[in-house]
Amino acid sequence: MKSLRKHSAQRIAHGVIIIFILLVIGLFHSAKSFSAETVKLKYIQSVYFDDKGGNLKQPEGVACNEKSLLIVGDTENDRLLRYNFQEKSLKAGGEIKIPQLSNPIRLQINSKGDIFALDGKKRRIIRLTPEGAFKGFVDAEGVPSPSTFVPRGFKLDTYDNIYILDIFSARVLALNPEGKYQKQIPFPKEYGFFSDLSVDTKGNILLIDCVKAMVFSASKDAKDFSPLTKSLREYLNFPTNITTDSRGTIYIVDENGSGIIILGQDGSFLGRQLSMGWNEGFLYYPSQLCLNEKGDFFIADRGNSRVQIFTLVK
Amino acid sequence: MKLSLKILLLLVVISFFVSLAYAQQNKFKLKPDAKGKLCLSCHDNFKEKLKNPFIHTPVKSGECSECHNPHTASHGKLLDADPNKICNKCHEGIVPKNPKSSHKIVVEGNCVKCHDPHASNNKFVLLKAGNELCSGCHKNIGETVAKAKFKHNPVEKGCINCHDPHSSTKAKYLLKNDLVALCVSCHKTDRPNFLKQHMNYPVAKADCSSCHNAHGSDKAGILFDNVHQPVANKMCTQCHEASTSPDPLKIKRAGFELCRGCHSSMMNDTFNKNRVHWPLVDKVGCLNCHEPHASPQKKLLMGDMKSLCGKCHTDTMEVQVRLAEKEKQENAASKENVMKGALTHNPIQEGNCEACHVPHASDSPFLLKQSKIVELCGTCHDWLKHTSHPMGEKVADSRNKNLRMDCLSCHRSHGTGNRHMIPFPTITDLCTQCHKQFKR
Repeated sequence: MKSLRKHSAQRIAHGVIIIFILLVIGLFHSAKSFSAETVKLKYIQSVYFDDKGGNLKQPEGVACNEKSLLIVGDTENDRLLRYNFQEKSLKAGGEIKIPQLSNPIRLQINSKGDIFALDGKKRRIIRLTPEGAFKGFVDAEGVPSPSTFVPRGFKLDTYDNIYILDIFSARVLALNPEGKYQKQIPFPKEYGFFSDLSVDTKGNILLIDCVKAMVFSASKDAKDFSPLTKSLREYLNFPTNITTDSRGTIYIVDENGSGIIILGQDGSFLGRQLSMGWNEGFLYYPSQLCLNEKGDFFIADRGNSRVQIFTLVK
Repeated sequence: MKLSLKILLLLVVISFFVSLAYAQQNKFKLKPDAKGKLCLSCHDNFKEKLKNPFIHTPVKSGECSECHNPHTASHGKLLDADPNKICNKCHEGIVPKNPKSSHKIVVEGNCVKCHDPHASNNKFVLLKAGNELCSGCHKNIGETVAKAKFKHNPVEKGCINCHDPHSSTKAKYLLKNDLVALCVSCHKTDRPNFLKQHMNYPVAKADCSSCHNAHGSDKAGILFDNVHQPVANKMCTQCHEASTSPDPLKIKRAGFELCRGCHSSMMNDTFNKNRVHWPLVDKVGCLNCHEPHASPQKKLLMGDMKSLCGKCHTDTMEVQVRLAEKEKQENAASKENVMKGALTHNPIQEGNCEACHVPHASDSPFLLKQSKIVELCGTCHDWLKHTSHPMGEKVADSRNKNLRMDCLSCHRSHGTGNRHMIPFPTITDLCTQCHKQFKR
């Protein structure tokens, strides 16, 4: 009798364990689908002016960091603007205007607060102090032949290393934080035109091909790129900017389609956010985006001559 | 007894299969004489046709029922199968598996565009003889061939000297072989005259069509009509290493840096602008759009602008194709009621991207020719006749503090799918974006 009771108790225990495992699997799945399907952008506010009331004009660059710093590349006005966005409140908008910089189209901030800007006219990357003083050009010291490089885009990794999308020599150049050459990875054989690159927290480099509408990737120590996605043409029109968050989720700016495409770190399509328009919350030929750990999401809404701030809602 | 039973069974089986085969051959159970001659007793006019020297085999043998059903059919002309598939019954495999190129009309089964299914005066029962048949559709090439001052002999003799009319497993454009292999089968590249003409450069493996128009041209050496000056002057070393160097075809500098040597003024203008067309400064540089040696297009362009710009801007061009089709269908469906407002913008449909954009560089976003949209559109459109809506630098767009009213406030120049190229389905939807008080 005792053994019968023991046996049935064991059976119940096994049953409970199985149900528990199924529950865990179910929860994991629902969590996965939650992250996959419910990434949304909630509109917070727009930036139209500098601290003196001057209008932004066709801003193409935007950079942000964890210290609530927001730098805007006010492209048509040949200047940068420095804002502070904290607790959903935007402050200042002081101008940084130096003769060495015109037409800023891509921006980044390193861990020390140094500002990096790609000058679209001179096609050079300029480095500024956190206060906005000229510090020098990123000249890729020691770069192997061919020494000419034309940066179409650039990104900094979490260690402040600089990655340059060199379209002239069809390669990605990796430089140390001081701008000295570290390595290069050639573009893959079959590509259309690369409009931007990104480096995730694991050191994986991602390239966005605006002609083929594909993402290519190279892991940290890889010597070449391989396709991460097939053509994403059914989801986007003309992608020109790519970035990742700390989890590896990929965000792509669809310039001609005026939207944001979200991909998983494996390249799977997770969703499309925002659409074309002139009212707040809509985009008109957006250029660069930046997001920080707090989930603040800044978009240089070029065609609307403003920067829009969203928050990531998951 | 047992043996004769077996033989009897065997005979029954054999006769079954023989009758089955006969039935298949003669599926209409026609009497032995019910063949071509019987058909001709009614189809009298065919007798004349059959006097042609080249007769389709089933017609010749009087097997009209190979293609036609003598009683009823689901297809025109009592054809026994889909007219676009019936030829495949006998001519299967005319397009091999995985061809590198195939003739569209062959793939579509439009064999009768070239062949007469009964009889003709031409070999292979072709409708017309020689190049006359091909130039019926390929009019542009036909005209080039006819007008060319300097003619290419094999073209004169017949297109099929180089092209396979059905498909090619070896090359694009239905070429019978890889282009270079095809050319060198006639042009001996080791002959002194050939070497001299090519400045002793090893062009035996180069792409002949980068300079020569195989269909003939007005330029000596059947070069394309527009020749790059260094090529015309036989000054290859302006761009390439010397012919005696180990790597003679190597170009002296990469990308735009090579072209800058001669086109410095244009390059300086380009690089003084705020925005450059990025492909101009990539690895391929100017050769993304221009041919280095010769081209049938002006400015040595690689093709007409529609296809050239569409090479990268596929998203824009694909929309144009869809919009043009939609416009065509809507206009046809509307009949008497003329549809107001265009769905497409003429310059794009005509491949004139340069009407609004500068291909190299510009100070304006989108590489526009002018910074002010009203002025740009005003080069073709007299907007004051078109609208009395206030526009210009002093008129703010109520949807956005930093925008001013211009043509693009209401229209999108590449079209939207809505009439008047407006971004909303109706004019009311558009106007009430700003004039919210009229929203219902």
